[in-house]
Amino acid sequence: MKRSPIVAVGTVVGLASVLSFHSSPAKISLSSATGVTTTLPTTTTSVPATTTTTHNSAGTGAAPTTVAPTTTTTVAPTTTTVPTSGVRSATGPLVNYYFGVLSVKVTANGKKITAVTLGSISDGGNPRSQQIDQYATPILAQEAMAAQSSNIQSISGASYTSAGFQMSLQYALKKLGI
Amino acid sequence: MTEVASPTRHLIEVMGTVVTIDLFGPHDSSAAHAAIGRARDVLVDVDRVFSTYKPTSPVSRLRRGEVTLGETPPQVADVLDLCQRAKTLSVGWFDPWSLPGGVDPTGYVKGWAAQLALDELRGLDVTGAIVNAAGDIASFGGPETGKVFRTGIVRPDDAQRLAAVVELRACLATSGEAERGAHLYNPFTHEFSSAVASASVTGPDLGVCDALATALSVGGHDVMVLIDTIEGYEAMTLDATGTMRATPDFPFVHD
Repeated sequence: MKRSPIVAVGTVVGLASVLSFHSSPAKISLSSATGVTTTLPTTTTSVPATTTTTHNSAGTGAAPTTVAPTTTTTVAPTTTTVPTSGVRSATGPLVNYYFGVLSVKVTANGKKITAVTLGSISDGGNPRSQQIDQYATPILAQEAMAAQSSNIQSISGASYTSAGFQMSLQYALKKLGI
Repeated sequence: MTEVASPTRHLIEVMGTVVTIDLFGPHDSSAAHAAIGRARDVLVDVDRVFSTYKPTSPVSRLRRGEVTLGETPPQVADVLDLCQRAKTLSVGWFDPWSLPGGVDPTGYVKGWAAQLALDELRGLDVTGAIVNAAGDIASFGGPETGKVFRTGIVRPDDAQRLAAVVELRACLATSGEAERGAHLYNPFTHEFSSAVASASVTGPDLGVCDALATALSVGGHDVMVLIDTIEGYEAMTLDATGTMRATPDFPFVHD
């Protein structure tokens, strides 16, 4: 039983600034048809759940803690060493991303995420990677917050899913008991 | 049996992104671990065969004409057959054979692979599971027995805000230019262009959703009219002026 006419459901205000995204050359996902000559290795950055790693200062190109071949990282809501109430923050471990090494810092009030920022990032000074970082990491942070602000289990669309960002974010959230 | 709290999230770095697998409801962690391992193997194998970024992958070699289709692993022919069906279904708007550089099934493969990974989880004693491959989402069940998953679709201009929340009964794919610049190819004009800023398709098969979302991005209104006639599939677009359009039964959550 299919029916006709297409309905204009509504108008989302302020979409004009979408063009600012279009100007970026960022192409990291597998599904891009052209223009990318390198990709992430088919490995998982494995960060032991018990890690207490603190990272070197950004800019030194510090190596990530561990890189294991093709293993799966499981983040279960288990015990945590950070209080799970009140305003607090935690920084995830340094992990590899497309152009270097980064960590993600999450601030929460109770169970609600109030900020997602980069704890540190080292991209080797590559201009292209810096451009991508500037545009991609706010999107990733905002997606994390958008997901939290609604009663939803997943996010679709404009999902520039940086491996390293997601990985570090998950561990920061785990530390906060979220 | 070791029961773990719900949900559990598993991250698999593969295909140039991170695939997340979420399991809902109390479940046996050892059985889940084995199933996640199988899902990971499926994804890694798909990447090995289909990656267009690995110059030695069978698909890369096929694109360069170094091997014939018969010399590639059998799943390549299977996927190209599915791509041909999707091309027919979309009356040519989804056309992996039109792309510069040789046939490229990438627009189908990510969704197809996520669905294969999900299939490895179906035997688990969970209330539901979600496989999210960078916004292409396959699922079964719900967060609790009798409840339906909800998925947010982000605005293409502001990922902090959601354009819509939808009920996720099976699969959802979103295609758009926001994340990667102009990469969508119009098989009729032979130009890289898109008609809308963001295009989402829901339905029972994620490979088909993925292909139709790509077609919808490129073809816009014409493809939405087409999807409206396909049983089980619904579509929604956001254009650059902020106008949202959807097929009448697109599963919006209104609350």
